[in-house]
Amino acid sequence: MVDAPVDISSTKEKRSISFLGPLRRPEAGAAAAFVLILVFFGYFGLDRNFMTALGASTWLNFASKVGIIAIPIGFLMIAGELDISVGALIPAGGIVLAMSVETFGLNIWLGVAISFGFAAAIGWVNGMLVTRTQVPSFIVTLATLFVVAGLNAYVSKQVAGTTQHSLQDAGVVSEFIFGDYHSLILGEGETAITVFRSLQSSFFIWIAVAIAGFYVLHVSHWGNWIFAMGGDQESARNAGIPTAKLKIALFILSAMAAALVGMTEAVLANTASTTTQFGMIFNTIICVVVGGVLLTGGFGTVLGVVFGTLTFGIVFQGINFTAFDKDLNMLFIGSLLLVAVLMNDTLRNLATSAATTKKK
Amino acid sequence: MNVTKHIAAAAVAALMASGAYAQDIAVIAGSIEDAFMDKIKRGVDDATHMVEANGGTVQYLRTQNYENFGPDLVTLINQAIAQGVDGIAIPVWVPEAQIPALQVARDEGIVIMQYNAGLPVQAEIGAVNYFGSDEYHSGYGGGRYMAEQGATHIVCHIQIPGAINLEERCRGVTDGATEVGARVTILNTPANLDGDVTGTAEVIKAELIGDSSIDALISCAEFGAAAAANAVEQTGVDLMIGAFDISPASLDRIAAGTQTMAIDQQPYLQGFLATSMLFAHLRFGTEIATDPVLTGPVIIDAANVEAVRAGAALGAR
Repeated sequence: MVDAPVDISSTKEKRSISFLGPLRRPEAGAAAAFVLILVFFGYFGLDRNFMTALGASTWLNFASKVGIIAIPIGFLMIAGELDISVGALIPAGGIVLAMSVETFGLNIWLGVAISFGFAAAIGWVNGMLVTRTQVPSFIVTLATLFVVAGLNAYVSKQVAGTTQHSLQDAGVVSEFIFGDYHSLILGEGETAITVFRSLQSSFFIWIAVAIAGFYVLHVSHWGNWIFAMGGDQESARNAGIPTAKLKIALFILSAMAAALVGMTEAVLANTASTTTQFGMIFNTIICVVVGGVLLTGGFGTVLGVVFGTLTFGIVFQGINFTAFDKDLNMLFIGSLLLVAVLMNDTLRNLATSAATTKKK
Repeated sequence: MNVTKHIAAAAVAALMASGAYAQDIAVIAGSIEDAFMDKIKRGVDDATHMVEANGGTVQYLRTQNYENFGPDLVTLINQAIAQGVDGIAIPVWVPEAQIPALQVARDEGIVIMQYNAGLPVQAEIGAVNYFGSDEYHSGYGGGRYMAEQGATHIVCHIQIPGAINLEERCRGVTDGATEVGARVTILNTPANLDGDVTGTAEVIKAELIGDSSIDALISCAEFGAAAAANAVEQTGVDLMIGAFDISPASLDRIAAGTQTMAIDQQPYLQGFLATSMLFAHLRFGTEIATDPVLTGPVIIDAANVEAVRAGAALGAR
């Protein structure tokens, strides 16, 4: 048994349908992990409303914040790069918006634009440094992580005199889009059906980002370019793919996604803090890896990352609905990561072997 | 996802049939890596015996860390609401984020009991009572004590910049110390150094090297005393060390004379009283006439350290 190196994206359409078909899809591992974890916490958290619309909202809301960033991070990892500067760009997104509105009295939409602009600039710097020098993206973004974290603390102290900014409600539309709770309940009284309840705006933004991400990675030609870059940088460039431009664009995307998450949190909680979110760096990477993206690049799907994020959200928040000791939380996350990666490897081998023309 | 929806719908139907029958309360606290919170948990655990003996349940919810504190606390409040609890015991650390979320909880008919932090906003969140210390007065007592012991330049160390309760502590330290003629400067260390003794020791060391007039330090964090003692060991500077809150190690230092004092707010009592009194209020309709109930400050120095050590050995001090 030797696995031939196969380009999954090109063989996707040609794959024959069999009963093993769904298992051989690249996101099968992530989907299986999701179902497993959902059943597990659904059982142990049943008597504390884990499976109700309101209960689900707590882990969906959490997942959405990580998920918005995990998708562009997934792109970068498929292209063979990493971005850990997001840990500082999340607070940056929030405080730039808060300072624009509260300290300088600007319109909130102008604040949003400035915040996106700042993030895009940092993303551009990341991309330029990675493509122009031979320094690995891990090191480059590690540097910008600390640079931005330092800027956050210094500028915020100099400009506003505090590291904890308040952001009062800035208008109905901006609240609705960025930071409010949404419910959809059909009918009234006894027969009412709760479709969803108390979902944050960020959840809907996440869905939008996932759909856009799906289009980019799996429909448009950019997707093939991203896979090609992760497969082999050199031959991708020789094939005429503008690798440098594309990579810079991907870094700009991940930085802007991080700022977007920071802004949604600031609007929702009416507060923004400069505290660097080191934990979120790992959270996004965990979601992407559990979602079946190869750390070495060249393999992954948007749907997989979405499943990975959902799974992570359940593990992270689900324990609070159970009688387990809360100190076990980290242990659960670590175990999940191991199990998911092992499961992904098994199913990926199945998928790649199915892609060969070999008949049994 | 469709399968999920069906499972969820079935679960909703099952739950609606059962309904609530006992008093369930949620106790929300800070990071699972914070030793101070473990002493609150010790009080919550002891109160849980009383709650369970009377047919209720206690769900103890904690944040992972302090990096995204406001939104994380809101998530926990929403989880408590989702779990259909009758009461929530909670400190208010980030009022802008927590007040709207707690308002939603109150609209759902959930009773709020406040402990540890946020005394100034007690009326705004409509908490039944408050069990904790008044940050300003605790700081005032500590600052005054240090100045009376002969300190002339006190550094007040804040481990989470921007946290209102910590800034109140240092405001109190400043007022208490300046009244007796000492000078106070504030030292903010980055929040990602919270709990990091070595990292914080280096910051304090730099401060001591940079300004030789410093002769005392009061840290808002218990671990800050360990960091300061570490910095003193490295620099040999003569420094009086005080800190909010205690640990077995800080009690050892006070007994050995390397730490001057600690300002205790008795977290065990906060967890125990907030949990048991919230439950008693829900189940028996009791109320405490004293409001707020202050569990601190209690100054611990060489005079009373031995009695406190006995309690610390049992995990309650």
